[in-house]
Amino acid sequence: MSDIIRSHGFTNESLDWEAWLDVVELDKATPEQVAVLEESHPKAKTSDYYLFLVHQPEILRQRSAAFNAIMYAPGGMPRAERELSTTVVSRINGCVYCASVHAQRFEQLAKRNDVIREVFDDPRTAGTTDREKAISQFSIALTEKPGDVRPEQLQALRDVGLTDAEILDLIHSIAIFAWANRLMLNLGEPVFPEAAPAV
Amino acid sequence: MTANTQYDIANDLVDRVAGLAPGTATHTLRHARDKVAVATQGSYEGLFDPALEGISLVERLLVALYASRLTPSPSLAAHYRAELARHTVDAAQLSAVESGQPEEVADERLRAILTFTRTLIENPVEGDKAALQKLPAAGLTTPAVVALAQLIAFLSYQTRLVAGLQALKQLAPQETTA
Repeated sequence: MSDIIRSHGFTNESLDWEAWLDVVELDKATPEQVAVLEESHPKAKTSDYYLFLVHQPEILRQRSAAFNAIMYAPGGMPRAERELSTTVVSRINGCVYCASVHAQRFEQLAKRNDVIREVFDDPRTAGTTDREKAISQFSIALTEKPGDVRPEQLQALRDVGLTDAEILDLIHSIAIFAWANRLMLNLGEPVFPEAAPAV
Repeated sequence: MTANTQYDIANDLVDRVAGLAPGTATHTLRHARDKVAVATQGSYEGLFDPALEGISLVERLLVALYASRLTPSPSLAAHYRAELARHTVDAAQLSAVESGQPEEVADERLRAILTFTRTLIENPVEGDKAALQKLPAAGLTTPAVVALAQLIAFLSYQTRLVAGLQALKQLAPQETTA
């Protein structure tokens, strides 16, 4: 990582996560639970998050399938922009853990973190281009006021060059983080690394 | 746990609730990302599987109606209201979910479930450790807590997906090129 950003309680550093209730112990997991862990994430068997959610293996299986299809599918909206959108949603919802993970993914894909610093400082004005600004603002709108979303807001995305296929990917990214944030935020908490000097 | 049923595009709930008819531009666009549609429907069916243990189907439908009302998502509220109408539901509980507050519910367990729902839907950052621990205190097992949290989180996704698709459908005069 090029540099550490800390702002308003958010960070792009790697964090751990601890569940607030009992997780499934791997040596007591059913074959179905082990199979779902293996298809969910490479490190799921050592992650409190997955070991907690695998109390309901079929629900976790479907959730992981939706998440992976939205975030990693080829074509459509560039993956870096999906990560930008999910970082904005996580910043708005107050999910420090998710914001950290997806800020890092953005940087890995885009090879820069200027817009992440802006999102952490003030998501409502964030965006280094008109396109990034429009993506950020729609991410906030659909997160905060889903009942008020209007076609004009999507037209604003078309106006800065998004295709309808990209708009669909953006809707999916925002919506799946309404889901993801509520698991990370409401079932456990981030664990911070030892204090290091911030930039 | 029941095995996955086969995905049937003709019975896709989000398409039905958002009013996306086969052959229209928005329906075609959505199903170009069919893995997402399949997993969304699969999540819905898993979360409302009658065989899911620890939290009853009526409790889950009450949560869904309450979450749809708070969001608000009138079209999803209508769907969950219709689903509830197929079951025997306590009138006072239904009334609290339709137009009242969790505090009005006499049953401690349902009151805890609906209070947790309100926190996660309206202001998730307030859903802290103390909020979560009220669920086991009200008698929910850990697997039931996981099912409830996944349900509320899924409803947060589903309401936004439907809202976005409804707006996209209204926008789309690109039907001519579809």
